[in-house]
Amino acid sequence: MKKVSMYTLSTCPWCRKTKNYFTQHNIPFTYIDYDLADEATQSRILDELDAAGATGFPFVKIDDEFIVGYLPDRYAKAIGI
Amino acid sequence: MNAELRKKALHYFFEKIVEPLGFKFTLDVELMNFLLDQEVILENKHGIPFCPCQPLRHKRERDMQIVCPCIPFHRKHFDEIKRCWCGLFVHKDVLDPDTLPQLPPKDVNHA
Amino acid sequence: MNWIYVLDDAALLEGRMVPAYPIGVNVLLARVEGVVFAVSGRCAHMACPLFTGKLDGYTITCPCHDWQYDVRTGKFLDAPEIGLTNYSTKSEDGKVFVSLK
Repeated sequence: MKKVSMYTLSTCPWCRKTKNYFTQHNIPFTYIDYDLADEATQSRILDELDAAGATGFPFVKIDDEFIVGYLPDRYAKAIGI
Repeated sequence: MNAELRKKALHYFFEKIVEPLGFKFTLDVELMNFLLDQEVILENKHGIPFCPCQPLRHKRERDMQIVCPCIPFHRKHFDEIKRCWCGLFVHKDVLDPDTLPQLPPKDVNHA
Repeated sequence: MNWIYVLDDAALLEGRMVPAYPIGVNVLLARVEGVVFAVSGRCAHMACPLFTGKLDGYTITCPCHDWQYDVRTGKFLDAPEIGLTNYSTKSEDGKVFVSLK
């Protein structure tokens, strides 16, 4: 099973859709809501976003691959379903 | 302030800003309402209706570029994907916003 | 042109902005390089009063969300399709006049 983690915002509808996608496909994942995280965590997340050329959320990591945006087709491909 | 009234006010302000830029509110009313709800919450918290889908960096210069409608500051990207990042606004010619993928700048096809 | 008196010429200092309300219209007056310019007094974004913002050269910065305009044309610097209404001004006999047309 590939490891799925994501950075999200509590205010972002696409982040909710992303979480729903993985829940509906019975794929376990971890997430951090950026806006609810502490300053050090926010700073670390921003570094990752900037390094990946991402300007917004959701930011999904599937093993070593990262996908920026709500893109179910890409999630499926990365997971292999 | 009453949240529903504030939503109406934001709708009024934003509509006249995005229109000359070639954008309109998304036709997905449920999404529009959710996003405007979030903006009212963010405005109550920070005093400013920030984008609900982009990170606050706590640096004024950067954060002012994600105040809704943030289209003027991300125009090339949003014109390419025919919507703003959170999807509150879409290009005027878009009839089915659900068909637009949420592509980040690095993944936009420049062909 | 229907010129309306708004204030005495000496009342507007170089590099400063003041609000005026000729026949109830909210106008922002600014003096740059000796010339008086007039634009609508509220930001095109969320109607914040611009006179409490900053004037740097010909650039007005809104105090609320830092939207910037060229005081000479009223144009929003990040998207020329958006802007403030731009009004003609003239100075005569130590008085500044604005035309709202």
